Amino acid sequence: MLARYKPYLQLAPLTLALLLFVAAPLCFVVTVSFFRTDGFDTIPAFTFDNYAAILSSGLTVSLYLNMIRYALMTWAASLVLGFFVAYFLVFHVRNRTVAIGLFLLCTVPFWTSNVIRMISWMPVLAEQGVINGALLKLGLIDAPLRILLFSDFSVVLAYVHLFTIFMIVPIFNSMSRIDRNLFEAARDAGAGRFKTLLLVVLPLTQSGIVMGSIFVVTLVMGDFYVVKVMSGGGSASVVSAMYDNVSTLLFAPAAASAVILLLILTVLIALLTRFVDVRHELVQRG
Amino acid sequence: MNHEIDTSASLANSERRSLLKAAAAVAGTALAGVPSIGFPQIMKRDFQGITLRHIGVSYAVQREIGEQASKDLGFKIEMQNLDTSASITRFVTQPNSVDIADMEGWQVKVAMARGLLQGIDSKKIKEFDGILPIFTSGVYEGRKISRQGISPYEVMYTDGPEAKKIVEGQQQWLTFLPQVFNADSLGYRPDKVGREVTEWKDLIDPKFSGRAAILDIPNIGIMDAAQALESRGDLIYGNKGNMTRKEIDITINALIELKKKGHFRASWSTFEQSVELMASGEVFIQSMWSPAVTAVLEKGIPCIYAPVAIKSNGKEGYRGWCNGMSLMKHLSGKKLEAAYEYLNWYYSGWQGAYVARHGYYSPVPRTAKSQMTSAEFDYWYLGKPAADIIKSDHGQPIAAVGSVRDGGSLAQRFSNIACWNTVMDENQYMVQRWNEFKAA
Amino acid sequence: MSAIASTSVPSRPWTFYVLALFFGAYVLFLYGPMLCMYVLSFQGEQGALSFPMRGASLHWFHQLWEGRTADIAGAVARSIPLALIVMVITVVFSVAAGLGFRRRVRGSNAIFHAVIVSLTAPGYILGIGIGLMFSLFGWQTSWYTSALGSHLSWTLPFGVLITFAVFGRFDTAFEEAARDLGASSAQTLRLVVLPILAPGIIAIALFGFTLSYDEFARTLQTTGPNNTVPIEIWSMTQNVTSPTIYALGTVTTAISFFFIGAAILAVVLIQRRRRAPRAS
Repeated sequence: MLARYKPYLQLAPLTLALLLFVAAPLCFVVTVSFFRTDGFDTIPAFTFDNYAAILSSGLTVSLYLNMIRYALMTWAASLVLGFFVAYFLVFHVRNRTVAIGLFLLCTVPFWTSNVIRMISWMPVLAEQGVINGALLKLGLIDAPLRILLFSDFSVVLAYVHLFTIFMIVPIFNSMSRIDRNLFEAARDAGAGRFKTLLLVVLPLTQSGIVMGSIFVVTLVMGDFYVVKVMSGGGSASVVSAMYDNVSTLLFAPAAASAVILLLILTVLIALLTRFVDVRHELVQRG
Repeated sequence: MNHEIDTSASLANSERRSLLKAAAAVAGTALAGVPSIGFPQIMKRDFQGITLRHIGVSYAVQREIGEQASKDLGFKIEMQNLDTSASITRFVTQPNSVDIADMEGWQVKVAMARGLLQGIDSKKIKEFDGILPIFTSGVYEGRKISRQGISPYEVMYTDGPEAKKIVEGQQQWLTFLPQVFNADSLGYRPDKVGREVTEWKDLIDPKFSGRAAILDIPNIGIMDAAQALESRGDLIYGNKGNMTRKEIDITINALIELKKKGHFRASWSTFEQSVELMASGEVFIQSMWSPAVTAVLEKGIPCIYAPVAIKSNGKEGYRGWCNGMSLMKHLSGKKLEAAYEYLNWYYSGWQGAYVARHGYYSPVPRTAKSQMTSAEFDYWYLGKPAADIIKSDHGQPIAAVGSVRDGGSLAQRFSNIACWNTVMDENQYMVQRWNEFKAA
Repeated sequence: MSAIASTSVPSRPWTFYVLALFFGAYVLFLYGPMLCMYVLSFQGEQGALSFPMRGASLHWFHQLWEGRTADIAGAVARSIPLALIVMVITVVFSVAAGLGFRRRVRGSNAIFHAVIVSLTAPGYILGIGIGLMFSLFGWQTSWYTSALGSHLSWTLPFGVLITFAVFGRFDTAFEEAARDLGASSAQTLRLVVLPILAPGIIAIALFGFTLSYDEFARTLQTTGPNNTVPIEIWSMTQNVTSPTIYALGTVTTAISFFFIGAAILAVVLIQRRRRAPRAS
């Protein structure tokens, strides 16, 4: 008897947590998104004005395009980095303890707050910073490179720096499940190193890659303070625009913007998970 | 021993102190632990167990002030720092979690519109008469202070303890009690700029292309931009603190043009960034806050806070701002009494001296004076040449003997305010256009 | 398994060196700014947040310890327990949910989409919503209630998605075998399922801790009367410009390395004792 209810009990804690801390607040957000703004007052109403204003504004388009640009660049860089770092750790490091040690080495920086790590890029990228200093000394440049800091480059760099770990871990997990015998089989079948990578490793790491991609894209598109600080205020993001709205109590437009972002991202991820059906893998044995 | 504790303002401060000191001596209470102001020990016992939560930005709500207050008053002051945006959001969405809301003048306008505050009884504020007339009557040195933007005077008074709306003209009840204020202008590196800066238009001077910065708080940054444009002669604003859509468009379009030309190195969003930009030489001239200039000077790097007094043609002038403390509506009973003690403590001098050394001003200079050396007071408030080496709050020398504070005395700076920090009627439009500037 | 005589270590293919270099470059990338931070945290009293280095002293570590301008120690004393609690709850809830999702139960679709939505909802706005909700219900916000909840709303989707990936490759044959051998379901869980899931669980734990410790946007409004570390640091930057935050970074790293070093040493010692022949 109990066995029938077991799955429900197992899902219950998650469901409760989500209901209380996601569903309930979101109800507020959605409700407020239909309110009117009058000066500093947010008046209960039911109007689509906020949505109309956002969806018809050129600013919205440019903000989204900007974020998508950042997300794509970050995704590409973190994918390449994450894939090969995980590959190295899983397949080339022989001693398991060493592998774990190296893995932990990669995680130690994350125990220092993101804000500090972001700020610590300044001395590296600044005009008088380490990189410019080194390049000048080596004679590779005549004048310090100013685009290193407060530019798209510094924003994406910070994103990659902060978020690659979220790509490495799922890929690492996927890769470590790959049966080593498959390499042998591939070698026996005459496949070279590169072909093995393409035809054996890559397909089997699919779910890890998709997972990591979901994580990285979500993190980038939901960010507001990395882009604010690293671009020197020179770039805006969808969420930083919400932040500016909230500063002067424009709650209704901010709420509407949040709902729109949420819908777009959810659709995107739902599509991704259909492409590699993560749940299907899980439930097929059900 | 019966002690009649009269907390009303009818007994003069010093009378009460000596009365209670005598009484305490008779009762054998040791006064050895009496801290700097000599607050009576009896009152400490009264408020034990009370905690007041004071929330605001870190340059106005400073931890060290809270600790000193806790020591002097005998009850706990819990300070929490949030940035400007997060704090006003907190006041609005979680009003019961805040006791003392620290806000700028324009935020008070917003808070009043939301019915968050209760009126402060000016009769209970002992040093009310010592508050500079800038705040209490909107007049300074005989001149009416600028009404461009939201001046503290115009939001300071309300109709009663319920604080239903803001009322023009001096009243008994206040919306907020100013606690720290300053007149902002531009900061620049004299060694890089090579000449004196006294006009806002230097901020957008093509000579400094790639070496200028503006701050990334929309409703403040746009005023700096407006000052610069007006200084350059582009247009004359009706009210820089409350622009029309057309004026906003002109300003933002000019900013976008400058950005496309690469004029701005960055728009800084944190104080720390502004200091770094100036100290490292990435930027030569920028919107800046006074303590940021002090911080740069502490690092041994020359930096001047441009004196931008109003010229005869009516241009230039400082951008004024003021932070003050408000009482949230839910305060009552003992907690409310404690809150009044806290408010009064702010005006008793220690805080005034503390913020002065950061380059800010206290609204009640006469008590701040008692906690500073005469050399310090002359330097910071009266703009006189320094008689001693002026040290920062951390003990770092920041001004040599004989140097004069940038911009001169309090009087000189504050009779030259062109506009105050603000939030505009067209705020939503302005924020949207500001984001277009950022996305450009 | 190929049986190569292990008298000589087989030579490494050229790709090993390339990838090792690549890995080294990544570590350098990760630690580069951190190294600058370590160096700059030892500056003297005139220190700024970037080069050139001004003086050398332990001044900023003293400042950190004294906590004059910001309550870093207090914030850490909140952030670390919070992150640990979030980590544990995330692991338990996610693994349980993963087990639950294996049967196609009514509503599991809805829950899955709810998980996705919680991942994509902008944290800043959600945080405001949670704070507002607490205020309306008359509940006190604090780091162990509202902040905890808001962090869970962020870490649970990560945990659940990883669980899917992990369970996806899980061979139920092991469970069946254990059952055939007479193990109860509790024993099966403890002795068969969890050990196999271990790497995934570690991943969830890692994410749970890191995401919570670094969480900023939704914590702004839910942290209650005291700040967590990211908020305290962010607020500091509104007022101070001091290498104190660098000193914090240096101290954090030193402590992390200490713990990792200790853990690895412990593992090595245990393994060595296991391998050592018992004295008869």
